[in-house]
Amino acid sequence: MSYAYLFKYIIIGDTGVGKSCLLLQFTDKRFQPVHDLTIGVEFGARMITIDGKQIKLQIWDTAGQEAFRSITRSYYRGAAGALLVYDITRRETFNHLTTWLEDARQHSNSNMVIMLIGNKSDLDSRREVKKEEGEAFAREHGLVFMETSARTAANVEEAFINTAKEIYEKIQEGVFDINNEANGIKIGQQHSPTNPSLPGSGGAAGAANSGCC
Amino acid sequence: MEFLKSGIKTVLGGTEPGQQPSAAETVEKLVDRVYSSTLLEDRRDACRALKALSRKYRIEVGAQGMPPLVQVLQNDGQDTEIISYALDTLCNIVTSEEFEEEADNPTVSVNVGGQFTEMFIKTPENVTMIMGYLDEYDFRVRRAAIQLITLLISNKTRELQDLILVSPMGVSKLMDLLTDSREVIRNDVLLLLIELTKGNSNIQKIVAFENAFDRLFEIIREEGCSDGGIVVEDCLILLLNLLKNNSSNQQFFKEGSYIQRLAPMFVLAEEVEAGWSPQKMSNFHCLLQVVRALVTPSNQQQVVTACQRVMQKSQLLNALCEILMSSGVPADILTETINAVAEVIRGDRDNQCELSRVMAPSNPPRPAIVVLLMSMINEKQLLALRCAVLYCFECFLYRNADMQRAVVQTLLPSSATDVSSLSTGQLLCTGLFSSDALANWFSSVAIMHTLVENVALKEELLRVLLAPTGGQRPNTLLEMCTNLMQRERTRLQSKVGLLMLLSVWLAHCPGAVKALLETQGTTVYLTAQLCSNEHDEREFLFQGMCAFLMGLCIQFNDNSLPNQRREDISQLIIKRIGQETFCNKLGEVSRHEAYSRACKQAQIRAKCAGELLLDYEYCKLYKGLEALIAKLVSGFDVDGIELTELTLSSEASALVSQYKGIIRGMDAQIQTLQQSVKELDQENVELREKLSEEQSVRAQLSDQNTLLKAQLGATGQTSFQRQETSQDREEELNTARYQANMYFAENIRLTKEMEMLRQHLASEKQRADAAQESLLVTQKDQEDLLELLADQELKLASFEKNTTSKSTENQSQTHSETALLEGVPSETASR
Repeated sequence: MSYAYLFKYIIIGDTGVGKSCLLLQFTDKRFQPVHDLTIGVEFGARMITIDGKQIKLQIWDTAGQEAFRSITRSYYRGAAGALLVYDITRRETFNHLTTWLEDARQHSNSNMVIMLIGNKSDLDSRREVKKEEGEAFAREHGLVFMETSARTAANVEEAFINTAKEIYEKIQEGVFDINNEANGIKIGQQHSPTNPSLPGSGGAAGAANSGCC
Repeated sequence: MEFLKSGIKTVLGGTEPGQQPSAAETVEKLVDRVYSSTLLEDRRDACRALKALSRKYRIEVGAQGMPPLVQVLQNDGQDTEIISYALDTLCNIVTSEEFEEEADNPTVSVNVGGQFTEMFIKTPENVTMIMGYLDEYDFRVRRAAIQLITLLISNKTRELQDLILVSPMGVSKLMDLLTDSREVIRNDVLLLLIELTKGNSNIQKIVAFENAFDRLFEIIREEGCSDGGIVVEDCLILLLNLLKNNSSNQQFFKEGSYIQRLAPMFVLAEEVEAGWSPQKMSNFHCLLQVVRALVTPSNQQQVVTACQRVMQKSQLLNALCEILMSSGVPADILTETINAVAEVIRGDRDNQCELSRVMAPSNPPRPAIVVLLMSMINEKQLLALRCAVLYCFECFLYRNADMQRAVVQTLLPSSATDVSSLSTGQLLCTGLFSSDALANWFSSVAIMHTLVENVALKEELLRVLLAPTGGQRPNTLLEMCTNLMQRERTRLQSKVGLLMLLSVWLAHCPGAVKALLETQGTTVYLTAQLCSNEHDEREFLFQGMCAFLMGLCIQFNDNSLPNQRREDISQLIIKRIGQETFCNKLGEVSRHEAYSRACKQAQIRAKCAGELLLDYEYCKLYKGLEALIAKLVSGFDVDGIELTELTLSSEASALVSQYKGIIRGMDAQIQTLQQSVKELDQENVELREKLSEEQSVRAQLSDQNTLLKAQLGATGQTSFQRQETSQDREEELNTARYQANMYFAENIRLTKEMEMLRQHLASEKQRADAAQESLLVTQKDQEDLLELLADQELKLASFEKNTTSKSTENQSQTHSETALLEGVPSETASR
């Protein structure tokens, strides 16, 4: 399948907050109540559409356990987006966010889009972290925030797609250097002919268009 | 050399002629100088000298020089020259390679490089420091650092992998070097990454994450794809490391559309006049390995399926098939291509179909699969190639009943095949009865795979008749196989093949069991084999397989032959062989080394022809049934009563399932009856409604009637008074009467109708009652059967109890007897 852009994501956060479940819900549209611990890193992929463009998301789901932290760090640099996940029913996962964020900021490229996610919103009765707290933390650190439920699929699509939108906007603004693949962004082969209105895709694109008609 | 000597001289100062200092002394002086010299030039010279000495006096330099060299690396980072000397020296010390210069040095043991590596990495900071020098752009420093790390990894892989994983951005940094514009550096990094990614899935994933696939494909393309040099091979080896047994990376590879980039590399140029260079062969071999790493049967099933699909869509399979049929391909490559095709089509219908459609450019054109089978039964072909063809054929049939059927069809007498064209069936029969033992084996296994998990075809294959050479009556294939197996001069390998074919044939197919038992002398032959006392290891295997076949004859016997029922064969085993011996011999199969070898993977691998004995699918069958057969056989009593729990329960379970079937049937019956009762009720209600409607109409009509009568009466009175108008009135009256009559008639009709409906209703009610009654009867039946079932279970339990109580009784008897014998007065023994 051809795509206009390819974005690399990583999912980070404490163990047991539902990172793998979020990925599974997003890529396979299903929920697995019992999931083994992720060992190291797992991979998933899906195509989405933003602004009429096909965008391929390649997502690396990392292990939350401390033992794998040094491995996880290797993935920050090459990612364009990160989903930082905590569990709204476990206060300590929220408390650890600062550490995660420091780690991410230290090892990633400065333009990486980070989305803060409070997962397990379906378990409202056991909630320990208020939605307002999440919002406040996100505001303070300049993150986008959302509460999701991998079980009911609430907001899962939105979380991944909004992150992609943010990255896409940054590309349009010229913030990202899209020619440097180390940023976690790749341009697809069919990119330029699809959108002649895009600045910069001048004569060559036009020629290509007439070529295929 | 001259320069070096003078260098040493300048460093060490002139020595007295004729008084050569020992190597250790020289090294000591140099080490001293590295430590204590204040001038950078002096230290640099000393390092250079150490480097020169390190090839010949590795032990001396390594033992004394490591700390000062580390110190140089720590302190003299600004001077690239001294750093490069230090790194080079370390390289010479830790390498596992033996230098020419030290060949005559007896103190150099085999693993001196490994020992120095261990010393060096004992301080993990040392590794971090070397990693730091990768950032240095200077060619000599960077290259030496890369080489040193490569050597360290190859000596102590696990330790270095862990150290690099924890060093900040370690792997990422190494990956960056792959984009170094200096080819030498890039190539050295490739070698480093090959070592680094060995057997460590976490590192493999990070390397893949850092765009390794893209970068590798770029390099492969720059270097001329499969026609390129050794760098291409290095890239492919690295690719293979990243993909092998790493499902996450395999998925990433598939999702990233890299299979599509792999596909064009398999398209061969039209004219390969020049032949294949050794390098091209290596490259191609690696390419094929990469394909197989994605679809090998041990991978996750979903990954395999997804990759197979993409390989078909991207024409990769097509290109592989082209290679199969093109000329001038080296046998080695051809073999590996066949193996690759095998795994690409295994269990995937579309891909299997695609292979079945490939035609060989022969005259007349033949299907590729036929041409392949021809090489399989050809004695002159290479063993590896023949094995690959069998594997490919197995994969061609794997989980594809249609393909299996198509092959069996070519064997059946009814199929009107063109005599001139060779069919798969003909070829397999030729192989089966050829004088080449290996061809027998290959063909038996191939035919066996047409029957795997396909009972219908097992029955079908029983119908196959083969015309004998003489004018006798035609034999069935099964008869031919058993006869061939019993023939004295048939070699063991052929016999093993035939036994596997027969075993798979008989399993789950009572018809085949019957046919085998009907063949003259089979049971006698099998018994004789099991009684014989050969002590050859291969003979043991054969006997074990015979035992297994005999076990299948019991397990899947439908008791339709009078003297060959389950009990009869079991008795034969008990009386002639002995249960213990039988079970022992049965176990021989799994104890044989060929068994563990065949169980490992579906692919057929053999270093020599003699190794080919057991097949993967046969082993699977054996594994599933061995315990069952052993229990079954040891469960028969001398009197022919089956007494173990297992046999009892298997019998009972059959009974239970039978009852279950009956109950299920009755359930269905009850359900239909209930349904019909419901329908009748509904009808009843409807009819009642209709009836009440009719009744109300009738009431209306009778009301009208009385009204009319009253009117009539009234008009009669008035007519008396007004006689003059009586004429008119009469007329009016007549019409009214007429009308009244009409109403009467209508009334009668309706009453009749009502009567009829009532009757109808009554009959419907009767029918409903009858249905209810039959429902009750069936329910009662069901209860009875359930009771019967409970009864049976009770009986079973009592059987079990009986046996246990008997044994306890026995025990207690012996107890009391011994008590008596010992003369101890026992109150319990009051007999």
